[in-house]
Amino acid sequence: MESNLIQNFISSKQVPAYQLSAYPQTSKKPKPDFDIQRELDNRTFIKPLRGKGRLKSGNIFMSPKYMFDDFVYSAKAFKHAAQGNANDHELGKLNDVGLLAGGLSIAGYLTTKRYTPMTKGMEFIGLGSFLASMALWPKIAIQLPAYLIHGVNVGKEYEDSFGRTKPFYQDPQFIPWDLYSDEQIDKIGDRLRVPKDIENRRDFIQERMRKLAVQNNTLWMMTAGFATPVMSALICNALEPHLASYLNNRRNKEADDLLAHLDKNSKKFHTNNVQDRLDSIINMYNGKPVNGALINSVTEIFTEGLDPVTTESFKRDIQELLSDGRYSINEITAKNITKNLKERFAGKDFSPEFLDAILPDETHTMQILNDGGFIGRSVDPIEFTDVSKAIIKDISGRVNEFNRLHPDDAEDLEYVRTLIAGGEEKIHPVTSALKKLQSSVFDAPIQEKLNYLAKMFDNFGADEAVLNRYAVLKTGAAPETVIANYWGEVSQKDLFKMFGVSDAEFERVKFDRNLAGSLFREKIEKIVSDNAAYDKLMNTLVGKIAQINEKIKSSDITTHILRNSKDKSKSLYEETVERIFKRYADDMRAHGLSRTADALVGKNGDSFGSYMNIQKAYVEERMLGVKSSFYRLINTLDFYRRVANNPNGLEAANTLSREIKEELIELCKIISLEGHSSDHATKFYMLRNPNPNTTDFDPIEVKEGKVVNKFFGQANQGLTDIPGDKFFYQGGMKYMFDNPMDTQTISILEKNGLLDEVLNYRRVVLEKLGGEHYFVKPYHKIRPRQDVGSDLKFLLTGIAPDEWFFKSGQQVYNTKKWLKIFGGFGAVLLGITVLAQFFLGKMAPPKKAGEK
Amino acid sequence: MILPVGNAQNKINFSADKSSKELEYSHDTLLKNNLSTRTKIQADKLTNAITVYPAKGFKGSKNANFYEFLTMGTVPYLIGSGTLMAVFNAANKYYSPFQKTMAGKYGNKLALGVLFYGIMKNFSKSFISKPIKLLTGIDTEMPYAKVIYELPDDINDTDITSIEHHKVFESVEFPRWDLLYGDEAKGEKRNFRYDKIANKLGMGENLKDSDQEVKPRIKEIVVKSSLAKNISSYFWAACGVALAVQEPWEKYFKVMTFKFWKGKEFMKSLKSFGSSFTESVEAFWKGEGKGLKKHAGKILFGAAVLSSVLGVINTMSSSKTPSKIDSADVIKKSDRYVVD
Repeated sequence: MESNLIQNFISSKQVPAYQLSAYPQTSKKPKPDFDIQRELDNRTFIKPLRGKGRLKSGNIFMSPKYMFDDFVYSAKAFKHAAQGNANDHELGKLNDVGLLAGGLSIAGYLTTKRYTPMTKGMEFIGLGSFLASMALWPKIAIQLPAYLIHGVNVGKEYEDSFGRTKPFYQDPQFIPWDLYSDEQIDKIGDRLRVPKDIENRRDFIQERMRKLAVQNNTLWMMTAGFATPVMSALICNALEPHLASYLNNRRNKEADDLLAHLDKNSKKFHTNNVQDRLDSIINMYNGKPVNGALINSVTEIFTEGLDPVTTESFKRDIQELLSDGRYSINEITAKNITKNLKERFAGKDFSPEFLDAILPDETHTMQILNDGGFIGRSVDPIEFTDVSKAIIKDISGRVNEFNRLHPDDAEDLEYVRTLIAGGEEKIHPVTSALKKLQSSVFDAPIQEKLNYLAKMFDNFGADEAVLNRYAVLKTGAAPETVIANYWGEVSQKDLFKMFGVSDAEFERVKFDRNLAGSLFREKIEKIVSDNAAYDKLMNTLVGKIAQINEKIKSSDITTHILRNSKDKSKSLYEETVERIFKRYADDMRAHGLSRTADALVGKNGDSFGSYMNIQKAYVEERMLGVKSSFYRLINTLDFYRRVANNPNGLEAANTLSREIKEELIELCKIISLEGHSSDHATKFYMLRNPNPNTTDFDPIEVKEGKVVNKFFGQANQGLTDIPGDKFFYQGGMKYMFDNPMDTQTISILEKNGLLDEVLNYRRVVLEKLGGEHYFVKPYHKIRPRQDVGSDLKFLLTGIAPDEWFFKSGQQVYNTKKWLKIFGGFGAVLLGITVLAQFFLGKMAPPKKAGEK
Repeated sequence: MILPVGNAQNKINFSADKSSKELEYSHDTLLKNNLSTRTKIQADKLTNAITVYPAKGFKGSKNANFYEFLTMGTVPYLIGSGTLMAVFNAANKYYSPFQKTMAGKYGNKLALGVLFYGIMKNFSKSFISKPIKLLTGIDTEMPYAKVIYELPDDINDTDITSIEHHKVFESVEFPRWDLLYGDEAKGEKRNFRYDKIANKLGMGENLKDSDQEVKPRIKEIVVKSSLAKNISSYFWAACGVALAVQEPWEKYFKVMTFKFWKGKEFMKSLKSFGSSFTESVEAFWKGEGKGLKKHAGKILFGAAVLSSVLGVINTMSSSKTPSKIDSADVIKKSDRYVVD
């Protein structure tokens, strides 16, 4: 301690008298801060050391410099503590270090439990927001209001003589008031409206400042527990969309880069899987005859992950590639033939004696083969018949001999011959044994061929992995892909606002799709009957939906079915897939894998069913599903609009009586809002009047978007589905998808560049879903069409708008509910905390000077 | 504020007034560090933290001090834990059944995480203090009761004493050495506590000034163990959270109940807690997937263990090696020394 040092210094310093005379009492030029020599030379002026503490300036929010200083100080504190010589202040700082280290380890661990960049990122944002909330709450809710209301910074910090930063009011029993000058205190006193003419004004001001600080510190402790988690959660909530948007852009760019620099990116995905596994096969089979097991193993290695058609093609190619088409005959063949024969005759109604007598043993089979001159050379499959004949001839001789010796037990020779020679090649005891032993050997030239192919397949795998990654990033049916984010953006942002749904309204229907659907229909009918409201909704909604063309450009991924039929241009993804696949297919053809190449890219320019088409189809189908859902929503809104504006606009319907027209419109409203693809398959079930009024042809009346029904809904009994009425269904489909769209809708779609696609969507739906084909109900005609599979119907139908509203609505409702609870809680807490300031720091001033 | 001088004439009798509370201690008293005392102290501090201290704080009492402020620091921890649990769970009841289940799974885990965080953070400090006590004889957590005489709020205020519960080594700069001396009136040796520590630290037996010899060592050990406790406790707390987010807990949440009066259900819940705990420990250790994901649990647990072990090792490794020279050799018995 410095005081001890000084005392020691004084007591140890012996100043001889002569020196005193030699050195006058006047001091040398003082050093700027403290000069101990000067103080000691002026012994008569020895006094306590001047404090070196100072108030920290700056506003109540910590500046980056302070934060950096704080960090450096904490690091030093850690070092000192590890060495065992830290002081109390430094040890106190270590809590911050521990908290951060612990927080980071929690966030780090939880990151490994999350699967998407967004959820991983949010773990760290959660930690950051929590720490920030801990620091910010006292500043925003306590110190700032206290400063604004009272003019006292209750979070004031000072630096003590040892350079340690401490809160000024940390210990109310020890406040270093001397750091405040009289002027500063007076100024604060004025702000506190302390009368100027009281005794000991400074004491009174200080006491009020202390009181305020103690009260505010207590307020802080009592509110922080409520505030910090809520504030942190709200911060996370606010930051989430920004992080999502940032990550979405990043992923989208990553995907674009994958395709733009495929060769470079392919290296990142490159593995030596095929080559490594082939190496072990080569070690195992080196120099051995090629057999089925080897072919199977090679096929398995090369075709992992490929479709069955390509796999089978590869197997056939590799069989040809590995064999010279000839087979060896040796003692193994003899052994196999003997064994096969025994198996063939086993379980048949022959006596053991007969079988012993007629079936050759291994030595004898060898003998037959030897006698026939087959041993020791490689034979062509054509010669298999000769071998077979030799064996049968021998066995026939033995059967005849047996029958001669045992006439009572004689067996049918023809049956025996049929057992051997009849049936498929697979079960032929001789041929199947012969086929097992190919004469070709798994030698170096073959291995070299396979090594080349392994490299090719490893490279193909890497290129394919890049394409797959691109497909998933852009259109994957997974969280946080570009398309999933787009869906969320369109579906959830401002959903309630767009359709004018209040939280309370949704609250009532939130658990039931039918109720939610009814609410949705109500809202739509109301909006479509009002020009301005319709314009507003459609502009917002179509504007959002049109973003798909920015997020995923049609030049990158195209949904061909929604494009004009003349437009045959290919998307970048398609071109890339074709380029890559064709490159490998050519290489495969050049190296003996022609069937595999055909399976990969198709034959004679027809790629139907090829592996390449599977690769291309995924992204297109995903896009079609999402686009159909939104285009259907647009068409539904437009249909409701047409009913509201021009209910008698459908020419085809004008021949129908009013009652049927009413039924038709109701059906269309239901189909467009609720229909699933299965409903289209059954052409809808609707309870109708089997004996409708056929005299009333009055036009339909509409009021505020709703049809004023004269007949529909009036008949209470006898209603039935009329399944044979294909014209009714077709009329409905035409009404929804063929009748020209509302002019307002058209202009909005055109403005947003969606008109062509939506019109094409309508055309395709009418064509693929709306015909009389595939009526599956009794008495319906069935006229299947080749080009409309249930998958396409499913994709074109998309999600039903009412279901979309119900599901998205729930998400929106949950988020809003949470925000309402905790946002409200946070706001009330903040309000109370700030208001509390007005009750703090109250003190009756002492009597004025001279007063009694 | 200094009271008017006139008040000095009121002769306030601190303890003779029968109506004022009876003091448990008349002077600062060392307490035994056992479960009963610790529980009592915790209960006392918690009660004060939510009653007396906030009341004093909101009044801006002139007796409010740093100890009370620090003690009130427990309040945000407890309320914060509850609020954190609420943030993840309170809104769930408004969601649809399916979403409620999904949100509940996550929310329950996080609530459990908050609980385990607190338990592990506090409990893990003993991973440092216990071995240190065993190896050195120094109880870094030794409590004592401090008797405080406050300023009277007004002239009628005679209740001016209060008890604070501190730890002997809570300040490394000003440890309460005085409390560690034995009471010779009770037949205790003056330095008996210091002797014991010196002995454990291998500084020799029957030292003449064991207190002076061991004080620097104690100080060093207190500082180092404080660092170790601080850092390692957060890693252990992180392990607590990690343990709580394991999947097997979902089984427990399905049967979880705190209604102890429903015997059968409550027992089932307890049993499920046990089995889920075991399975979660296993899941935490084994991990899933591959790479970092698979080994994250081991890494976190390893970091926690390592921080404790290194903490103890560092605490035990002293930079101040004991003096080899006995003080008897330094002081020449033939010489005369004057101490002033």
